[in-house]
Amino acid sequence: MSSSATKMLVDATVELLKRHSPFDRMEPQALAFLAEKSQLGYFPKDATIVSPDMGPVNTFYIIQRGKVQAKQTGDINVTEYSSLTLGTGEGFPIGSVMARRASTNAYIAIEDTFCYQLPADDFVQLMQMSQPFNLFCTQYIATLLNQSRRQLQVQFSQRAAEQQSMNSPLSAIITKKPVCVTPETPIRQVVETMVAGHVGSMVVVDAEHRPIGIFTQSDAMKRILLPGLPLDGPISSVMSKHPHALSDHSPVYDAALAMAMHSVRHVLAVDEEGKLQGVVSERDLFTLQRVGLRQIRQTIEGATDIQALKQAGADVRQLALNMLAQGVGAEQLTQFISALNDTVTRRVIQLNLAEHDLYGIEWAWLAFGSEGRDEQTFSTDQDNGIVFICTDIQNRDELELRLLDFSQHVNRDLDTVGFTYCKGNIMACNPELCLTLEGWEEKFDRWIRVPEPQALLNASIFFDFRVLYGASHLGDRLRMSLLAMARNTPVFLRMMAANAMQVQPPLGKIRDFLTDLEPDYPGCIDLKKYGARIFIDAARIFALATGVHNTNTVQRIKLSSQRLGVQAEEAAAIIEGFNYIQLLRLRHQHFETEHGRPGDNCINPDLLNELDRRILKESFRQARKLQQRLKLDYQL
Amino acid sequence: MSWLSRFFGGAGNASLSPEQRARLDVWRRLPSADISRSHQLTRYVVADVEASGLNMVKDSLIAIGAVAVVNGMIQLADAFEVVLRQDEVSTHANILIHGIGGSAQQEGVDPVEALLSFLEYAGKAPLVAYHAEFDRRMIAGAMKKYFGTNIELQWIDLAWVMPELFRDRVNGRIELDEWLQMFGIDNIQRHNAVSDAYATAKLTQVAITQGAAQGRDTARAFIETERARRSLRRAD
Repeated sequence: MSSSATKMLVDATVELLKRHSPFDRMEPQALAFLAEKSQLGYFPKDATIVSPDMGPVNTFYIIQRGKVQAKQTGDINVTEYSSLTLGTGEGFPIGSVMARRASTNAYIAIEDTFCYQLPADDFVQLMQMSQPFNLFCTQYIATLLNQSRRQLQVQFSQRAAEQQSMNSPLSAIITKKPVCVTPETPIRQVVETMVAGHVGSMVVVDAEHRPIGIFTQSDAMKRILLPGLPLDGPISSVMSKHPHALSDHSPVYDAALAMAMHSVRHVLAVDEEGKLQGVVSERDLFTLQRVGLRQIRQTIEGATDIQALKQAGADVRQLALNMLAQGVGAEQLTQFISALNDTVTRRVIQLNLAEHDLYGIEWAWLAFGSEGRDEQTFSTDQDNGIVFICTDIQNRDELELRLLDFSQHVNRDLDTVGFTYCKGNIMACNPELCLTLEGWEEKFDRWIRVPEPQALLNASIFFDFRVLYGASHLGDRLRMSLLAMARNTPVFLRMMAANAMQVQPPLGKIRDFLTDLEPDYPGCIDLKKYGARIFIDAARIFALATGVHNTNTVQRIKLSSQRLGVQAEEAAAIIEGFNYIQLLRLRHQHFETEHGRPGDNCINPDLLNELDRRILKESFRQARKLQQRLKLDYQL
Repeated sequence: MSWLSRFFGGAGNASLSPEQRARLDVWRRLPSADISRSHQLTRYVVADVEASGLNMVKDSLIAIGAVAVVNGMIQLADAFEVVLRQDEVSTHANILIHGIGGSAQQEGVDPVEALLSFLEYAGKAPLVAYHAEFDRRMIAGAMKKYFGTNIELQWIDLAWVMPELFRDRVNGRIELDEWLQMFGIDNIQRHNAVSDAYATAKLTQVAITQGAAQGRDTARAFIETERARRSLRRAD
């Protein structure tokens, strides 16, 4: 060894590293240590540098020259990307080398690549030696934690312009000032402005600049050209009233959700005072998120028979998988799945209505369970019922027969399009679940007054009802009476709370997790039974106790915690915990189905990496906190 | 007598102190490198020399730079450099090439010590260079001069081996800089012996990776590739 020669190579290495973060902040002696302890390795294009099956990682790599792609390969991951390209000065795999675990990603050279390689022991020593490096690594881990907590979205591309995500606020994707007119503006002038400015839509605003209507190119065809309307009339006579508006602080996914749910192509962004800030079109979203949301929705809404819907059902699933792969969070994802499944279900109902005359009947289709809560995962069966009104002059038996006949066909078709029959017969074709409003009220009242075990179980399914089709006010009325009954019967809520405490989060006293609770799945945790359900049950009790109308668990926690005076951060931590468990469930189901197995909820925590385990543990702690709150509130 | 002693060795060898002679003997007794082992189990020493000119007979060796490729990896801490003390400083034009100035040349290491330390660094590892003929003859000439005896070293010349490994990419021999460019290898400081050796060492990593993929996974395979290529070219 010659000190002058080594110094030259070490200096050159230090010079190169110093051009990149975090090395630019590191102490000279730490950098020299890093360079002296490093070896240089070469990886030809397409060579695998690190992969999960190589076992615990004992080397930290820094790219000297070339490009390396990180790809997620594992069952369950926390990083926000599905694949990411690393270049000169970037190091990997930080998390795995710190934890001395197998990497969850595969790292592949996508061009001829040279890497500095630092043995794990020296990596640890470097962390002790250098404050900035230590900070960088721990912050990196913290970011990972954060990412998985908040479930940040995918980096669609390295390019900054495309680094927007479904979580960014609407204000971030509004680039143009909205074009708008007053209601009195003549149609001719509006159309001329639209043509001249190449704009697809025109917002009509009042004197305070608040949107009151929208007029689009396709409206021009349908409402002016075809009826042959005179062009000097006011635009207010042909605009669509009550346009969909969202706060410009709302996340982009809200706009996408609104488009999916209401079949609109434009959503308006308004500020706190309701003043128009911009227009978000479907096209804006699709440059952002390349998913065929609209095509799928069109396929669903345009489907003329069940076979076509069957394909759409498969598309919904595929879309959800794509979104999962892109890192869309659990809350958004389950809402999307539910929204699109709603659309499928509605179309099935519409197709059947053509053959079943329900004219003159006031009725609504109810969704229960996870669908009622907007929390559907990939594995979904049917949970539905019907509520109807029987007026004095109608024959109740006859109405019931007509509705049951109709439901039978809907249930059958739903099974065909992929929502399998409910094993517990929680379906609208079950006469027990095709009831008048009074019938449902009586049923609920009975369960609340006599909360025996079966009643409590029923409550956990049926109290999460939501109107999916038909007269929505029937749902509102039923909700009102349910909340009134629950509030007036504290003993029922106490029984519910006791019931919700029967299963505890699987946190061990010695080990991290208890994995022997399910005899059929040794070493595994049932994330639904011991995870999600604890949150769902507690949220239901809080919602009933505080008169919250919502059925969605996250919404229930948000709103009821406000009414209960719970700190916002505390509620946010609970929601994060719930979302994380849901995300693990979704990823696990995705993985299982990709490998041709029925998606269950049983995961083996040993197969998770250290980070996932830590977050999962924290999530279970949040579940335990919720239960402690129940215990305290209901003196159990 | 001095010119005779250069031919007959004995007197030249006398300029080695007993301690230096013992060190040379230690080197000689080192077991030969096993050239039939995989690249991944071999230590290669990639060397580059700077000389007072390009005439292999007249010009003298000024500096040796070397970088080791051990089991496929370059050890940044395992590099070598030595400047040989010159009785006569090389020309100004020459200094401009390698940047080893007159005083640095005069303050260099005693040539015997310098060459011994190179041998001790290299051991019996196969030496690798680009256009190895020049490096080989400059080092052999200096050892002959200062040790008064012939030292046989095993060299591998990438200039012959590389075109054979990448027949699909290049036709015939190309310059080192073109190879470096092809694989994105930077040279820190051109015509610095260590820097050139470092760049050549990275090229060696490329060569042994490609060689392994083609079944030429040993130093012997490289030596044979070089020999076959040389004779083939001569036949042209």
